[in-house]
Amino acid sequence: MLALVRPDSWNLPLFLHVLGATLTFGATTTVAVLGFAGVQGDRERTAWLRSLTFWVSFGILVPAFILMRGTALWILDKEFPGGHNEPGWVNVGFAVSEPGALLVIVMVILAWFSRSPKSRVAVAVPWLAAILLAGLAVAWFAMSAKPGA
Amino acid sequence: MSLYQWLLFFHVTGAFFLIGGIVIAGILNLAAIVKDRPPSQVATLYGLIRFAVPLIGVGLVLTLAIGLWLVHNVGYSYGQTWIVLAIVLWVVASALGNIDGKYQRRTGELAQSLAAEGDAPSTELRARLRNPRALVISYGSGLMAFAVLGLMIWKPGV
Repeated sequence: MLALVRPDSWNLPLFLHVLGATLTFGATTTVAVLGFAGVQGDRERTAWLRSLTFWVSFGILVPAFILMRGTALWILDKEFPGGHNEPGWVNVGFAVSEPGALLVIVMVILAWFSRSPKSRVAVAVPWLAAILLAGLAVAWFAMSAKPGA
Repeated sequence: MSLYQWLLFFHVTGAFFLIGGIVIAGILNLAAIVKDRPPSQVATLYGLIRFAVPLIGVGLVLTLAIGLWLVHNVGYSYGQTWIVLAIVLWVVASALGNIDGKYQRRTGELAQSLAAEGDAPSTELRARLRNPRALVISYGSGLMAFAVLGLMIWKPGV
């Protein structure tokens, strides 16, 4: 019922946080779809699909993830100033986004090296994206349902 | 967990599916437009957009159905400004999305047939991909979904 009494000053960071989260979900799914499509096929097809996978992960996923994570800190600072009495669902967000950031970095690096059709690491990129998607689903359950609140 | 918490979770899940699906379709569509690609590449990108379609469909159903249930559960009035605006935007965005979906399907089919006939660059395909009216409908419907997200958070009139 928090949404009913939320102060107006929380709206912008909350909007940007949800926007960043939905963009992250969309971009991660796109990386997974392009990545799986780029694993098999002729050299020309795999080359342009893998190149596109890299550009989507670097140019869209990374900024979306930064938007989601940065605005999470902004709203957290308003809702729980000084980090006091943070409920469990907030910690779930950290537990997903901190390893998630590492996963995104590894994914972008692997996507860069995967641009060559000879690359053997290309198959890892869509699987890492799938793991990130599972983590995001856990986070959006915790953030929306707020179990235990 | 209470009924309210479950409803909110499924409503937010619907929003993630809907906006996530729009983002997937938007990225793949943009990838086909920004660079002059052979028809085979356009056909591949349009073929991958099919993964976004079920997400958008499920998202549309969940956001509206669970959203209306939430209005009842919380005790809001169905006539409140932000709820009426959100429903109007949802209906207009869905209608525009439907028009856009049919247009994009025909573009994908054209790209596929051109790819099968030698994969030569086509002015007709390029014109369809960059049709300003189609782009306004496509990206307009997507922006309306983002506007609904804003309405859900600011709730003007409450």
